[in-house]
Amino acid sequence: MPGCLSFPQLSTHCPKLGSMEDAKGGDQSVTEGFPPASVGAERVTQQVPQEDQGQLLYHEETIDLGGDEFGSEENETISEDSHNFIDKLNEHMMESVLISDSPNNSEDDAGDLGCLQDVVEPVEGNADPSLASITAGEGMHTPSNGSETDTDATPRDVSDMTSDSKASLKEDSTQEEATAMPVFEDAGTEDLTPRGEKAPGEEQVPEASSSQSSKDEPVPVCTIFSQASAAPAQPHLFLHDGFESQMVKSPSFSSASEMSAKTPPQVVRPSPSLSRFFGDPVSTNSLASGFFDSFTTSTFTSVSNPNAGSSVPEKSSPLTASMGEKALDSPDCSYPAGVPRSESGTSTAAPEIPDSPRPFSQIQTVFAGSDDPFATALSMSEMDRRNDAWLPSQSTRDVLTAVATQQCGTVFIDKESLTMPGLRFDNIQGDAVKDLMLRFLGEKAAAKRQVLNASSVEQSFVGLKQLISCKNWRAAVDLCGRLLTAHGQGYGKSGLPTSHTTDSLQLWFVRLALLVKLGLFQNAEMEFEPFGSLDQPDLYYEYYPHVYPGRRGSMVPFSMRILHAELQQYLGNPQESLDRLHRVKTVCSKILSNLEQGLAEDGGVSNMTQENRQASVQLWRTRLGRVMYSVANCLLLMKDYVLAVDAYRSVAKCHPEQEPQLLSGIGRIFLQIGDIKTAEKYFQDVEKVTQKLDGLQGKIMVLMNRAFLHLGQNNFAEAHRFFTEILRMDPTNAVANNNAAVCLLYLGKLKDSLRQLEAMVQRDPRHYLHESVLFNLTTMYELESSRSMQKKQSLLEAVAGKEGDSFNTQCLKLA
Amino acid sequence: MEVNPPKQEHLLALKVMRLTKPTLFTNIPVTCEEKDLPGDLFNQLMRDDPSTVNGAEILMLGEMLTLPQNFGNIFLGETFSSYISVHNDSNQVVKDILVKADLQTSSQRLNLSASNAAVAELKPDCCIDDVIHHEVKEIGTHILVCAVSYTTQGGEKMYFRKFFKFQVLKPLDVKTKFYNAETDEVFLEAQIQNITTSPMFMEKVSLEPSIMYNVTELNSVSQAGECLSTFGSRAYLQPMDTRQYLYCLKPKKEFAEKAGIIKGVTVIGKLDIVWKTNLGERGRLQTSQLQRMAPGYGDVRLSLEAIPDTVNLEEPFHITCKITNCSSERTMDLVLEMCNTNSIHWCGISGRQLGKLHPSSSLCLALTLLSSVQGLQSVSGLRLTDTFLKRTYEYDDIAQVCVVSSAIKVES
Repeated sequence: MPGCLSFPQLSTHCPKLGSMEDAKGGDQSVTEGFPPASVGAERVTQQVPQEDQGQLLYHEETIDLGGDEFGSEENETISEDSHNFIDKLNEHMMESVLISDSPNNSEDDAGDLGCLQDVVEPVEGNADPSLASITAGEGMHTPSNGSETDTDATPRDVSDMTSDSKASLKEDSTQEEATAMPVFEDAGTEDLTPRGEKAPGEEQVPEASSSQSSKDEPVPVCTIFSQASAAPAQPHLFLHDGFESQMVKSPSFSSASEMSAKTPPQVVRPSPSLSRFFGDPVSTNSLASGFFDSFTTSTFTSVSNPNAGSSVPEKSSPLTASMGEKALDSPDCSYPAGVPRSESGTSTAAPEIPDSPRPFSQIQTVFAGSDDPFATALSMSEMDRRNDAWLPSQSTRDVLTAVATQQCGTVFIDKESLTMPGLRFDNIQGDAVKDLMLRFLGEKAAAKRQVLNASSVEQSFVGLKQLISCKNWRAAVDLCGRLLTAHGQGYGKSGLPTSHTTDSLQLWFVRLALLVKLGLFQNAEMEFEPFGSLDQPDLYYEYYPHVYPGRRGSMVPFSMRILHAELQQYLGNPQESLDRLHRVKTVCSKILSNLEQGLAEDGGVSNMTQENRQASVQLWRTRLGRVMYSVANCLLLMKDYVLAVDAYRSVAKCHPEQEPQLLSGIGRIFLQIGDIKTAEKYFQDVEKVTQKLDGLQGKIMVLMNRAFLHLGQNNFAEAHRFFTEILRMDPTNAVANNNAAVCLLYLGKLKDSLRQLEAMVQRDPRHYLHESVLFNLTTMYELESSRSMQKKQSLLEAVAGKEGDSFNTQCLKLA
Repeated sequence: MEVNPPKQEHLLALKVMRLTKPTLFTNIPVTCEEKDLPGDLFNQLMRDDPSTVNGAEILMLGEMLTLPQNFGNIFLGETFSSYISVHNDSNQVVKDILVKADLQTSSQRLNLSASNAAVAELKPDCCIDDVIHHEVKEIGTHILVCAVSYTTQGGEKMYFRKFFKFQVLKPLDVKTKFYNAETDEVFLEAQIQNITTSPMFMEKVSLEPSIMYNVTELNSVSQAGECLSTFGSRAYLQPMDTRQYLYCLKPKKEFAEKAGIIKGVTVIGKLDIVWKTNLGERGRLQTSQLQRMAPGYGDVRLSLEAIPDTVNLEEPFHITCKITNCSSERTMDLVLEMCNTNSIHWCGISGRQLGKLHPSSSLCLALTLLSSVQGLQSVSGLRLTDTFLKRTYEYDDIAQVCVVSSAIKVES
């Protein structure tokens, strides 16, 4: 930035900074963009010339104090007019003021870069020719301190300068300059394009499920028909053409599944449109099972999800998927010979209401497993209703009402309002740790690295959880992909009509959540895209009245909505995140107010027991708190600290048990801004709150805050003392250990700092091989010696033994 | 490691790292509910992660400190801190090690090393550590020159240097504007813009006046005995944000009276700005002396000492004018003429002699006038003639008065 030093101090028309105009190359991106932690030095210089704009704005803001109307000088005819005029101009212009730290410097117009040469020469004594050449070399350089990579790896020392030739020195200096500081490769998102577009279907259906699917072959549609007619006891028997069940379609019936369970006679009521409904060949394959589904689907789906608290073997999960696919894929199933398509009133052009998997054998299993299916169904549906409740948008609501009432035969739904997800990349399997081992430690060492992959575990939810808990998230993403492929939503299936089940959406949620956890935000965004705003009609249970009879609400897990909203902030669109979060928050608040008014979650009339109502209020309050948390986090990312602090305070109201942590967090936010006084105020509040509760955790929190406060006051020695005090109480405290080590470095005790971190990592590698700790460790290795590579590689070995494939290898700074 | 063949491998390695404040690690919270497929798994993973806050795992801002990831930016007024480590990479003991760190700026060269004494010996795999601090006082290119000299076991004297270049940038853009009140008061408005890329907490922005002035800061309002900042709770400046500070300067009595008026370019004072950024990283700047061109009043200045703001229609009222001889050495002999305008009617004799007025002296004049038109009226029509030079000075729009009908006046 030549000329940046010579600002005219008292110019009249503000021509200053003119010399910087060339830097103006339109770099608005800096201000708009989400400022990353590290912005290169050169970007800042480009921001400077906003002068013109500033002036333009300024004319509107003049304060009328010594204004013209008072000034008697204005009309003075004799005084030096021109001078006067300039005075007036002066008053309207802002003067750019030369800033300097010492008054001595302020007066002299220090020269630009070229000047440096002159100064350097006399100072340098006998080495001056060489230094002169250095500055010349530098002059050609852009001031890109921040972005240059670590020069440590190739230290070229400018030694014995006098003996060296000028030319070589010049080359030397240009490469040597500036950034000996460790430069962290800007993390960004990992570049993970799909490796090779493999055929999507390959080995998609694991053996287990294929054997299962063969089981369901004996359940062709026609058989079901015959079964239905052969079993006169079943209510469905009454459903001949020309009959209609009002009950199924009534949009106003609440807690439907119970009703349908309790009052089968209602179903018998004749209704013409129902006949069409059942006449629809796609749905015909399940007259009998359809009925059972009214109890079992909910049981079944929750059963397949082992956490729902029911007792059916978990093995059932992959089965659903594979069978669902079967049902969709096989034309025999969809269009039984006996029923012509025209009769059904469906058109293949418009996506009909898709059918969902209804595994017949599964139902039997369920029945075998539970003594009182009706009771189970009732309690499950109560819980389901509570969890799944959601308020659809008006257009979605219309579609769902139409589906329920079947006004004009099949409901025609615009393809665009359907959810048609599919895997967008086939395989992100891979193990960065192993790749690094191959590169640095050789094949032999790499062969020792054994992590689970998608094939080495059971192809089910059990295997999936196993992969997640041992931190093999990449493999888990892969397994989710396989299970989804089995469900017909595999690679390349995006944009093709499909159907959704509770399980398929849970799988999507897990897959997308893991992608976010892995920092693969772009990938997550790609696969999230077909889900739109998570409000399409086919994501509601009401859309599948025969699969989930009477069940209402959204299939989308609440956590998936949060994920969907939060993802945008990681992609640099925090505003969009906020919009989405506020939409979720609005629904949560509305549901809570419905509950408080004695209505059901969705605003319908309800006869909930007090107990259930209380449980529901509890659940939705928790969810509201979760949304508030996300809003606060998002505002923090946006660096809108004032609003973020407000948001965290309202989170503290939702979670009073987290108040001390949240107050400490707010204190840290103020420390980050630099407002030490306010930070101290919050830390004092924490001390007041924690006084009431005794216990180690409170004490540690107080000490931690005190340490941070000293850090803010630049007192690393005191900060270190407090971190060490925490360690006396809780020697395994990773944060205190790490932070104490960081303080030691700032105190000039590199070796001590290293010892502390190394000791901690060795003590419990399973816990302390954390990204942040390893980053600090490798940074110090780089500072310590030129042989940091070896030490980093031994860290890699330690990581290889303990960490799964989700480990972020960037913190090792090996690449 | 050396690329250039003639270079000799050194036994010692020099590493330099800039010590900006550490940052707090932020994690990415991903949660699920118990009924979801992973059950408690995601939440358990977050609890096990040492970088999350114990008991409030969803809170993004953790407690784990991480070392600076890159050089970052350095701004004028901040303190440049750096870790200098000299490590013995060899397997022999090295003697008489002298590490010198100098900072070369465009105008000077400063020695930053804490001590200039040589270290007697350095064993293999040992370090000499130094942390240097320097408050940056110049903008532009700085070069940190680190020189290491030592003696090998064989008695050979060795020497090498490394250069680290960095740019010091301007953190703030300060613009000022003066407003001259009709009295001698001067109002200073200072616009301070944060031109860095990080939020900045303004700890102090004060005006240190020059000896001629007293200053009143107008950046807080007292409410119920409490002093509240006019900026509210928003104590920090986002990147590119600008904030306006206002100060009122009053000339001290002795200066105001001694000189008669303050003429020409005067020094007002300087702004002293202290800010803090990440984890209390501090910066301080002073502007150069702010200078103000006092408004030019020509040879004769007519200023108002007293005037009512509201007067009754067609009722005489009084104003007091002050006439000052601003010329340097000329004594004036003045004649006052009063010319009526459409609305303003002067009472009394026009064309009267005011007598002799010496340089830098002034006289007060009570005048009576009335307005025949309602509304905001401008007082105009005074003429001063210097009989000596036969020069006439015209004074129009001296002030405004609000003229109301007498009926309203009575009511109020």
